[in-house]
Amino acid sequence: METSLTPRSLGQRGLLSDIRAFRAILRREWTIFRRYPSWIIALLIWPLIFPMMYILTGRALSGVDGSGLAVFTKLTGATDFIGYVVIGTTVWMWQNIVLWDVGFALRNEQMRGTLESNWLSPTWRFSYLLGHTGPQIISMGMFILITAIEFGLIFDVRLNGSVWMIMLTMLTAIPAIYGLGFAFASLVITVKEANAFVFLIRGLVMIFCGITFPISLLPGWMQAVAKWMPQSYLIHAMREAAFSNAGIAELSSDLIPLLLFGTFWLIVGYFTFLWMERRARQTGAIGQY
Amino acid sequence: MSDFAIEATQLVKKFPARPGTGDKKIEGEAASSPKKKRWQFWKKEPKVLFTAVDGVDLQIQRGEIFGLLGPNGAGKSTTIRMLCTLLEPTSGTARVNGFDVVKQANDVRRSLGTLLAGERSIYWKLSGRENLEYFAALYHIPQPIAKKRVEELIERMELKDRANELVEKYSTGMRQRVAIAKALLARPPILLLDEPTLGLDPQAARRLRELIAELKQEGHTILLTTHYMEEADQLSDRIGIIDTGKVIALDTPAGLKRRIDQKEVIKLEVTGWHDEIGDKIKSIAGIENLITRQQGEADLWEVNMQAHNSRTAIPRIVEHISGNGTRLVNMNIVKPSLEDVFIHLTGKALRD
Repeated sequence: METSLTPRSLGQRGLLSDIRAFRAILRREWTIFRRYPSWIIALLIWPLIFPMMYILTGRALSGVDGSGLAVFTKLTGATDFIGYVVIGTTVWMWQNIVLWDVGFALRNEQMRGTLESNWLSPTWRFSYLLGHTGPQIISMGMFILITAIEFGLIFDVRLNGSVWMIMLTMLTAIPAIYGLGFAFASLVITVKEANAFVFLIRGLVMIFCGITFPISLLPGWMQAVAKWMPQSYLIHAMREAAFSNAGIAELSSDLIPLLLFGTFWLIVGYFTFLWMERRARQTGAIGQY
Repeated sequence: MSDFAIEATQLVKKFPARPGTGDKKIEGEAASSPKKKRWQFWKKEPKVLFTAVDGVDLQIQRGEIFGLLGPNGAGKSTTIRMLCTLLEPTSGTARVNGFDVVKQANDVRRSLGTLLAGERSIYWKLSGRENLEYFAALYHIPQPIAKKRVEELIERMELKDRANELVEKYSTGMRQRVAIAKALLARPPILLLDEPTLGLDPQAARRLRELIAELKQEGHTILLTTHYMEEADQLSDRIGIIDTGKVIALDTPAGLKRRIDQKEVIKLEVTGWHDEIGDKIKSIAGIENLITRQQGEADLWEVNMQAHNSRTAIPRIVEHISGNGTRLVNMNIVKPSLEDVFIHLTGKALRD
């Protein structure tokens, strides 16, 4: 048999090849995202719908003239009730969307049938998860920007702080929010149906992190739990940066824990991914729908 | 470089299985204990293993087309998934292009072009060209070479006119061609094609078979699984038949057919078929491997059997079929095909 005919693979090893592959994953995700135009409607409507529930409840409780808000201001130090709620609900939405988007990224590929064909290439497999994150961060940035514009125009919510500090706070929170998403994505591949986990996590954020009320209202043990959730620090820091004109020194008590949580969750996310990858090789979970 | 493109030695794959799932090859505590134990919250269920692949040995030479045949659940997909590093063997070793599938998984992936999930393995929301450019990057093909290669394959797969359209607008045959182009992108020495013609119309299937033959001429080693016996017969240099996780026969198509050279195959078409008639025919001396298959919705049955001497058997077969609402519609005596070899070896048809 002629062995000289055997073709040689055109693929080349090296870091550059992996970087190019990562760029291709980002581009693929962004292209597919753009081809589902319904996201524009979601992007315009959702920032209003969810906070409205709390804002209207707040209006009902504080009376038509808003006199009841004095108690709220005394408790929170915030004069802008709507701005206070919007920051809490936006952080909740951020975590919620990351759990659905990044958390189900691999599962959706698996159900589409494309996960195996990606897995069969020599590309570093964690890139597939990282690649989902880039377009997600961009769309989330758009979501937050639209939230700010809509509430500024409709409810006259005004910032009393630095946009740069708000952005810095959000950047600091990215590793924690997405690290949790990575860990979650790996678990979803293993257990297949993980909707209950999403409901649990977002429920915990809703109750413990004070999305519409100050954490100081909670019983002691619940406040202790809140301290172990990065979203509590993010919500607090965002409110301080947006409405109290807090600088980096005032924010550091929130930003440092956020970075520590970020490091923790990225490590947990990466190692959960490695564990899932190994387990999938043993059980065949990648090819199972 | 290894002499073999693919080499597997005593490859075994066991999966965790739940007791009572109907898995035949179950081993472990639950398999040996028929007593129903009371379920306890704090107690783990006993570990039960199902053997999907049971000591497979394969040696596929470079430049060869090797057909792997077996009924559903025989272990061929599991074998292929171990060879392409999607699954880790429980025991045994396998080398692809000289690389160990466990220790050098990335080198194995670099050596392989795969068609596993057919049209589902590509992105329907991307165009044919975008899909190929994307996978070229995943296979680490440098950009200028990738660009050229993508154009070459678009041309070769006759996709040029619609390469910029979204894959969701393509026909099944076109999607399958994109999936094959994806497998060929890196010009890998070895191709694993799992049911490449499944779901294609006859013309598209014929074109694909021609392409597979061309790829062999270009020096690719091809491991092919298929449900179509004629396809395996026409394309394969050698065929391995796998059943219940074991390779039960391995030879050239002609060599396999020689195994039942002394037999004839009687093919009947019957209406009003009953299982009791089958039992009676099976009791006739020299009749083996009777297989029945209903033809569509109508009460028409195809009945195939192997006979040592059809001349003596036919009068008795006709005698059993006549009467009681059963009617013989058609009868042929033919030379054994590869499918008959398969039935002879496994006792069941490939599509069972």
